[in-house]
Formats: sequence, structure tokens, C-alpha cells
Amino acid sequence: MYTWKKSAGAVQLRKGPNVVGPFGILQSFADVIKLITKENLLPSSSNKFLFIFAPMLTLILSLIAWAVIPVSSTYVIANINIGILYLFAVSSFGVYGVIIAGWASNSKYPFLGALRSAAQMISYEVSIGFVIITVLICVGSLNLIDIVESQKNLWFAIPLLPMFVVFIISALAETNRLPFDLPEDEATLVAGFFSEYSSISFGLFFLAEYANMILMSSLTVILFLGGWYPPLDIFPLNAIPGVFWFTLKVFLILFVFLWVRATFPRYRYDQLMRLGWKIFLPLTLVWVVITSSFLFYFGLLPS
Amino acid sequence: MFLLGTFYFFASFLVVTCISVIFSKNPVNSVLFLVLAFLNSTFLFILIGAEFVGIILAIVYIGAVAILFLFVVMMLDIQITTLMFNIKRYVPLALLFAGVILAEIIYLTVFKSSKSNISEIVRSSNNTEEIGNVLYTKYFIDFQLSGIVLLLAMIGAIVLTHVYRPSIKRQNIDKQNTTYSKDRIKLVETKSGEGINYNE
Repeated sequence: MYTWKKSAGAVQLRKGPNVVGPFGILQSFADVIKLITKENLLPSSSNKFLFIFAPMLTLILSLIAWAVIPVSSTYVIANINIGILYLFAVSSFGVYGVIIAGWASNSKYPFLGALRSAAQMISYEVSIGFVIITVLICVGSLNLIDIVESQKNLWFAIPLLPMFVVFIISALAETNRLPFDLPEDEATLVAGFFSEYSSISFGLFFLAEYANMILMSSLTVILFLGGWYPPLDIFPLNAIPGVFWFTLKVFLILFVFLWVRATFPRYRYDQLMRLGWKIFLPLTLVWVVITSSFLFYFGLLPS
Repeated sequence: MFLLGTFYFFASFLVVTCISVIFSKNPVNSVLFLVLAFLNSTFLFILIGAEFVGIILAIVYIGAVAILFLFVVMMLDIQITTLMFNIKRYVPLALLFAGVILAEIIYLTVFKSSKSNISEIVRSSNNTEEIGNVLYTKYFIDFQLSGIVLLLAMIGAIVLTHVYRPSIKRQNIDKQNTTYSKDRIKLVETKSGEGINYNE
């Protein structure tokens, strides 16, 4: 949070938080305390159970995905065979939190936000799926550790550069970040699907959004930036533990997220859909074919 | 023992959610119970060791199909009373389908039990590879055919629902990007008091 506010401040030629604590470092804690101590309002016409359940679901889904993320070759909670499919499934469930929240609020703007979010996340999941398939063709395994280990010599970001770019943009859309944050568009929808939320239930949505961002960044790092491997396999770099490299890369991608957020204007909804279905879908589909035929004809397919 | 206990937990939960799908008053709640039912069947698949099938079920049914269901049901203003009135009409058809499925299950479990096959698949450590090996060799034609059937269904749905109305003004982004300012804007020097002839 602190980093986001500071970097947004830097982009917009402001100082950012600078009052709470030295250099404003304690600003995030002040924000959290403010959110917790506020009164939690329940709209009288809402569906009470679903209204309270939605933010919890969103946060739970963004946290359970972390079970399969390998931070280094040994540090992973559950090393399952189909790690990448599990991540894909859990990230596609994320839309339920949003859509339930929008419906349970029983109000116009949250509902519109939820509908937008559902359509948007399904559209961009298609291109994310194809990008993942491209990487999987190069790896030959659905296991996340295998995916990282096959990038020991060459990160997939270099041979699959277009896919890398498509993946980052789709990740922005999938996590509802700017320039694709149409579900929470302040200018037209008040605050989108969480207009009616206050206090800690809003805080949970907020936390889940950031947890999702970090999750998508680590997925990018695992799929394209060689996970815990140093950029060059030479002495001073490979002596540093893999956790450090992993974290560094995740922060790098996160910075790109924040940078994009502070720099780009919001898309219009039809432009968003056009980008997803008419540009990314054909592009990724063609790249799946190109990659697989390249690997096939040069005998590079993993056995 | 633990495995059996978990099986009965998820199985009974599955039955309860299925019953709730039918009997809940609010259609949105029905869809959410349907999602829970899909989730429970995913767990059951994972429990017998078929994690690939389980996760694919979750991705396809929970991640896409049920969301579209929810999408449609939320936007419909369904009158529950009229639905309840019509429900008796569908009972014979529903019983017929249930009977057919029940007969199939009994046939498969009692008369044609292939236990050796199942345990063989379960024992292999990576059933994604196993499925791929069978799907793209032995059942290749069937696999491609089912793909074509789905494609046809998709194109059919689009053709049936897409109505092209020429009266609506649409933005053509490619056309916009390929135009230059000199084709659209003309800079004219005007003398004061004379104006310009627009049709020029």
C-alpha cells in the first residue's frame, strides 16, 4: 500500500504519504486501523448472508491459491501435479466473490459492476488459458516446479515475448486493475461492485485485490521469468538464495502494475471487449499453433 | 477409514446441495447451490485420484458455465409462483430422465463392473499424461468430432442471436486508426469580415 501510494505520488509529481511515521511508512497501518474501527453497514434491502459472505469468499480464494506457489525449489506448501490448473481454477472462481457482492447489495451500480466484472474476467481467462497452454507445450508438465526448472537456462519471457506481454495485460484485466477496472469505475458506477460495502468488509475486498495482484505477479514470474533462478548463472548472483530472486521479480512485476495504474487512462467497455476477443484471442491462438509447430519440426518437444 | 469418511461427507453434502438446487425459492440461490454441487463432485473426483478430471470439471463448470447461468438468472425477473404452477408438467419427463440415468448406473456398476481398469488408471502417478495418451491416440477421431460439434453449436448460437442492425452507429477502430488528420481537417486562412465558402 505504502509503495503504491509513494509510486503514484512520484508519477503524479506529489510527495505521497509523508505524515504518519518517518517518511510516512506507517500510513498503511493507519489505513487498516481506520477501516477496522469504522462501523460496518448492512443495506436493509440486501441479502444479508451473501452480502457478508462475498468479501470473505474473495479473500479466501485469493489466499488458497498461494498453497501451490513455489517460492524456491524446496519451499512450497503443496507440490501437486496439476499446480497450474489449480491456480487457473481458483483464479476463475474469483469472479464469484464479485458477482455475489454485486447481486447481494440489491442496488443498481453494484449490480452493473458485477455484470461487467463477470463478462470481463471470463473474456480474459480465455487468453490467459491460451498463454498458459503455450508455456505448457514448452515445458511438458503441469507442475509449477517443473515449469520453473525448465527455465534454468532461458527464461520463457525471451522466446515467448508476445505471450509475456499478453499475459501481463490479461493479468491486469483479470485482477480488475486499471486500465481495465471497469467493474469499479468511479466515474460511471460510483465504486462498482463494492459501492455498498463499508468498514472491514470493504477492507477484505481491498486486501483480496492486492493478494490477487501479488498472486498474478508470482504466476507471471513462475511462467515467464524463471521463478527463483538468478538472471545469470555466475558466482555472486547464484550464491544469493532463490527466495530473494523470486521476491525481487515479484516486486518488479508489481511495480509494473502500479506504474500502469498511475499512467494509463481507463478503457471504455466495448474497447475492453474488443481487445480481449478480437485481438488477444486470435493472437494467442496463432501463437499456440506457431509454438507447437516450431517445437515439433525442430524436435524440441519435451518428452 | 479417513478416506471413506471424507467420501461420505462430500457425497452427502453433494446430495443436500442438489436437493437445495431444486427446492430453494430464489433462483440465484439455486445457481449458487449448483456451484456447491459442482465443487463437491470435484472433491469426489480428487478423492478417487482423478485430479485432472476434477480440476477440469471445476474450471469448465464452475469457472465458466455456472457463471453464465448466474449471469442470466440474475438479470431475469422470474416469478416464482408461476414457476411453481408449471412444475407439475415437467415431472414425467424428469422422472423419465432420472430413470434412464439410474438404469445406466445400475447397469455399469452391477453387470459391467470393470474394477481392474479403474485401479490401473488411479495407480499411475500422473493421470494427466494417461488421459492425454489415450485421448490423442485411441479416441482421436471422437475427440475431434466432439470438438467440431461444440464449434457448430457455438456458431449456431451466434447466428441465431446476432441481429445486424445497420441503423446503429458503430465505431470502426481500424478505420479510425488508418485516417490522417490532413484528410479530415482543412486549415483555411480567412480574412476578417469575409468568412469562408463551406462547399468549396
